[in-house]
Amino acid sequence: MTPFTPTRRQLLTMIGQVAGTAAMYQAMTSLGFAQESGYTQPVALQGPRAQRRVLILGAGVAGMAAAYELRQAGYEVKILEYQNRHGGRCLTIRGGDRFTEMGGHEITCDFESDGYFNPGPWRLPVHHRAVFDYCRRLGVPLQPFIIKNNKAFLHSSKAFGGRPQRVGHVEKDMRGHVAELLAKSLDQRQLDDTVTHEDREKLLEGLKEWGVLNNDLQYRSSDDLGGVRGWDIHPPGGLMPGKRPSEPVDLSPLLQSGLWDQLFNFNSYTFEPPMFEPVGGMDAISDAFAREVEDVIQLGARVTRIAQDEGGVTVTYEDANRGGSVQEETADWCICTIPLSVLAQIEVQCSDRMQKAIAAVPYASAFKVALEFRRRFWEQDDWIMGGISYTDLPLVQIAYPNYGFMTDGPAVLQAAYDTSTAGRNFTYSWSTMTPQERIDAAFALGRQIHPQYDAEFMSGTSWVWHRVDWSLGCYGQWTDDLRDQHYRDLCEIDNRLVLAGEHCSEIPAWLEGSLLSSLDAISRLDQRENAA
Amino acid sequence: MTTPQLYACFLFIATVAYGATSEAQAQEASDDPIAELLARFSEDEELFTQTSGEALYRTTCQACHMEAGEGAAGAGAYPPLAGNPKMNSKHFVAGVILNGYQGMPHFADEMDDAQVAAVTNYVRMELGNAYQDAITADQVAKLRPPDGGDSTDR
Repeated sequence: MTPFTPTRRQLLTMIGQVAGTAAMYQAMTSLGFAQESGYTQPVALQGPRAQRRVLILGAGVAGMAAAYELRQAGYEVKILEYQNRHGGRCLTIRGGDRFTEMGGHEITCDFESDGYFNPGPWRLPVHHRAVFDYCRRLGVPLQPFIIKNNKAFLHSSKAFGGRPQRVGHVEKDMRGHVAELLAKSLDQRQLDDTVTHEDREKLLEGLKEWGVLNNDLQYRSSDDLGGVRGWDIHPPGGLMPGKRPSEPVDLSPLLQSGLWDQLFNFNSYTFEPPMFEPVGGMDAISDAFAREVEDVIQLGARVTRIAQDEGGVTVTYEDANRGGSVQEETADWCICTIPLSVLAQIEVQCSDRMQKAIAAVPYASAFKVALEFRRRFWEQDDWIMGGISYTDLPLVQIAYPNYGFMTDGPAVLQAAYDTSTAGRNFTYSWSTMTPQERIDAAFALGRQIHPQYDAEFMSGTSWVWHRVDWSLGCYGQWTDDLRDQHYRDLCEIDNRLVLAGEHCSEIPAWLEGSLLSSLDAISRLDQRENAA
Repeated sequence: MTTPQLYACFLFIATVAYGATSEAQAQEASDDPIAELLARFSEDEELFTQTSGEALYRTTCQACHMEAGEGAAGAGAYPPLAGNPKMNSKHFVAGVILNGYQGMPHFADEMDDAQVAAVTNYVRMELGNAYQDAITADQVAKLRPPDGGDSTDR
């Protein structure tokens, strides 16, 4: 290998990337994806001054949390929900489920195993404290979600002959090469302007161990490296063949492959291990809320108008359970959690500023495909136990189940997933496909990473958020400019009406955003109720 | 045919179609449903690489406005593009594609002026519409927001 001579800035940038500095985090933060949760303890409401009725629109997590807390504080609550189910975007699909999406295609799920598929939220960062606290209070059992598995694959269709590489190998090779470059620069006194003599010695010592460098400060295959990067032949038992350490990949092909970039998927605070998921599917969370408030949810109610005056709110809706007849509900307050994409098409009596905010936020494109296979070949053949593989193919990622390890029989992969806010456009094209076409495409692409698809495929299912009539997209696609212009106007109480949901948070798309928004909305409503 | 069988039939072409897609190749492979499907993905993950109005419609707009531009309705709705009086104005249509509209995302960053013009003309001259006044890439350029992406050819 011929090491190139990087500038100091290039070097430091590379170190930053490998060590995971604030750079990625800042980029994420500007998109509103990596905020610390503001949750510290359960919300404390004063309760109403007299009998008060709160009408909540939408039985998703934000709406149900509001109902749960307000009722405990003494408010009378009722939820109107368009669908014939509770839970909103927090849902899980299992074998036997059927949905009709916009355009009239039926989504079928014929999984034979107990494998499940979470089309919306599917993993919980530990700093999303409100979600965890509700899981504790409502008795939702959690299990680890393996976000980073060093045995999972990073794959480029254009590098290494299309052969996937292991996450751990790419990570350790980048670390080793960068350590070598930096160590040599230090050794050649090229960084004496910035590093003191004492620090230089410490740094060199550390780099040798961190990058597993030999005495010539080179990153090379050795038994020491085998103990860090792994073995081509593992240490034997008895008279089995002797161990042989694995061979690092050279720096240049690694850099040119783009796999280093894929490694950054694991770099952000949001995706810091460990992550968690509810046992048995994400709908365990929505079901837990529903157990508390089911008696106040009216299903099949399509809101067509939200009117208000000083005295209260009147909501008009079509009641699917009474032949679509037009009904009205009145209340003292209204909490509306309807996604802005849908709300923008509903007549709402509110300030011009709130109207403009409601109409200003585009809804992100996102999709998922799940496939069921006859056996867990990723575990049995590839030794991938849970976690996520990434690829430059339009399927973007394959997520392995984090439960049922090494069991025989069929199992479900999340075989394709992306969102447009990740900066890629593939998700629009997935969204144009019929349910069968999505399965065909996920199959045809995925077999380039796991050729076992050919022999083991059973069935598939999918979800396209832009083909869901009650959300018209996945989540509020805020930008910094849009937030500057509209966020406050969207979140302020407008007379008797307040909006809530992930779109009213700086944690878009995440359950934590919807919960914090809901708790903040009911706290302000409760304060307004009790204001002199 | 099952999915694996279907795939086996077209293994070679499908493999070629992604990674080496040009629209010409996509058309050559038009007998192959899987290759045609995979050709719907852009060659560039950030920018749409299709150039014809129809190809761009099939890879983006169709997600919401559906195969024949008929739109769809439920709790919320996507407007039909056929017979919709708002389609009268080519400037309006191109502006919506560039800037978005309510929940609809904008495509100023992912499409250049020629692409926006091609989609605009496609949805106004096909899909049951028969407007005659085409929009040009230069006219699209004037509709771009000040920081609305790269308007030039790539």
